[in-house]
Amino acid sequence: MSEGQIVLENVTKNFGGTVAVEPINFEIKAGEFLAIMGSSGCGKTTTLRMLAGLETPSSGEIRLNGERMNELKAHERETPLVWQTLALFPFLNVIENVEFGLKMRGVEKPERTERALKWLKRMEIEQFANRSIDQLSGGQRQRVALARALVTEPPVLLLDEPLSALDANLVVRMQSVLTRLQKELGITFVYVTHSQSEAFAMADRVVIMSAGVIEQIGSPREIYRSPASRFVAEFVGTNNIISGTVNEREKHTITCDTALGTIKSKLDDGNTTHPIGSSVELVISADMIELSQEETFSENEIQIQFVGEEFTGSVVTLYFEDANKNELLVQKQQRDIELLKLTYGSKIYAHWNSIDVFCLPNAKTG
Amino acid sequence: MVNDKSIVWLLRVYLLLVFVFIFLPIITSVVFSFNSDRFPSLPLGHFTWHWYDKVYNDPDTWDAIKTSIIVALSASTLATIIGFCTAYTDFRYNFRFKNAYLALALLPPTIPLIILALAMLAWFSKIGLSGQIWALIIAHTVLGAPFAMAIIRLRLQQMDKDLESAAWNLGASEWATMRHVIIPFALPSIISALCLTMAVSFDEFAIAWFVSGLNKSVPVVILEILQGNVDPQINAIGSFVFAITMTLVVIAQLFLFTKKPTNN
Repeated sequence: MSEGQIVLENVTKNFGGTVAVEPINFEIKAGEFLAIMGSSGCGKTTTLRMLAGLETPSSGEIRLNGERMNELKAHERETPLVWQTLALFPFLNVIENVEFGLKMRGVEKPERTERALKWLKRMEIEQFANRSIDQLSGGQRQRVALARALVTEPPVLLLDEPLSALDANLVVRMQSVLTRLQKELGITFVYVTHSQSEAFAMADRVVIMSAGVIEQIGSPREIYRSPASRFVAEFVGTNNIISGTVNEREKHTITCDTALGTIKSKLDDGNTTHPIGSSVELVISADMIELSQEETFSENEIQIQFVGEEFTGSVVTLYFEDANKNELLVQKQQRDIELLKLTYGSKIYAHWNSIDVFCLPNAKTG
Repeated sequence: MVNDKSIVWLLRVYLLLVFVFIFLPIITSVVFSFNSDRFPSLPLGHFTWHWYDKVYNDPDTWDAIKTSIIVALSASTLATIIGFCTAYTDFRYNFRFKNAYLALALLPPTIPLIILALAMLAWFSKIGLSGQIWALIIAHTVLGAPFAMAIIRLRLQQMDKDLESAAWNLGASEWATMRHVIIPFALPSIISALCLTMAVSFDEFAIAWFVSGLNKSVPVVILEILQGNVDPQINAIGSFVFAITMTLVVIAQLFLFTKKPTNN
């Protein structure tokens, strides 16, 4: 079995006495868009810097195309990085910035200019070739940084939260630029971010890290619908996580007693790991919950009280409480909510399908 | 506020007085350097280039100017190189006793000049350098290096730390990064440091007087003329030194302050 383009094997990193990265193992396939996601200090940037050769792993091995990279110095690698600060050279103009990597590789001036211009064109910034960096807008700088990193036509591009300094509307545009670029070039992108929306919008696979440990690796859909741990379920955001005890089980369904009442969960794999009497954690995605004014007498139905809302564009997150002040999050389109005519304190019914209740694996509970 | 206007006026008068206090002696000297009278007195005589002529035709003064220029160029170059290395060490590395290292690097200007001069004299005569032009160059390098370091360090502190890593990441070795990133970034401060240390060396009297021996620099010659007699050619030399020093300082200031660091 051939291994991935990049392999991290039991890689760790300590700074002095503090452990930044616990032993981590994962592979990155050639041509893949991989996002490493986690909150600050989770070790995601350290992992990226180890790939770039800016940090040396304390132990373990990093391989690129089967060859050990640990001892390779940063400037001997073909893993350009797009920096969070962009790190453009302020004393060079746009095209000189883009030419830098070629110049360092001894490419002659005419070829350098030609190749740099090609990339400026591709990034649609050729008209700024002779501008100085401080005359550019944030989005234009972003494109210069990308052109500078890609001009040497590397097999792998590393990106360290490159969009975090941009305005929200620009972020969405740059996301599509990046996705298209990655598809067209067919090279590997390793993208570090704390933003779930960025990671889920662009990546083929997402690695979720926390406190130097990998919590889950999977496609955005897998992570969203079947989180591997409570941490992931919480990190992904609008999930209701409800603790309960199994009191009944059929072939594919368990019935659990929870603070929100009896909740049924369908297990797609006929799971045997949740015996009667064991405690479980159930995840109900906020967008899977139906609301109605009248009782519908369907399974998994409870009466709740409206306590607040959070408006984020066309989608609204609604906050409800049951009679015992247990919180329930529901996500709806703005127009659906208008039909419900909600006012603070108004009572309403919520129900959801047992197929949409995900039961967290036992190992990581608590 | 009621007193607003009077405070503004008070401050203006104060500022004016400060300028008068600082510049009047210099202006006086410049004015008298063009005055035909033998002794500085009012009313003024007529305009003349005579004193400049006299200086121009005096070989001793020319030797001194030559010495001053050689020393200023060499000492400022050496001081700037040393200052740059020290500042870069501070920027790049963290090590134990770094604060002690920095304090040591900034020490020379805190030592009274006379003591520094005496120590230099004693030391140079021990190693047989006394009276040679090298002695003056070394002494002025020691004096200038802390200034150069302070200026360059200020500039390096404004540099995005990622810039250096970004250069490595793009295939630049550490030496290439030094040449293509660090030095270009620090260039305004390097030029500034060169000018300022040159000015320091050109102006410096105390140490020069002690260690220069026969290689007299301009300030030493001025003192010797002054000790001998009152001669308006001192005003001429003084104006000349003032013009050079001010030019250097102004150039240094221009590079230090108009080139605002551009962060992205």
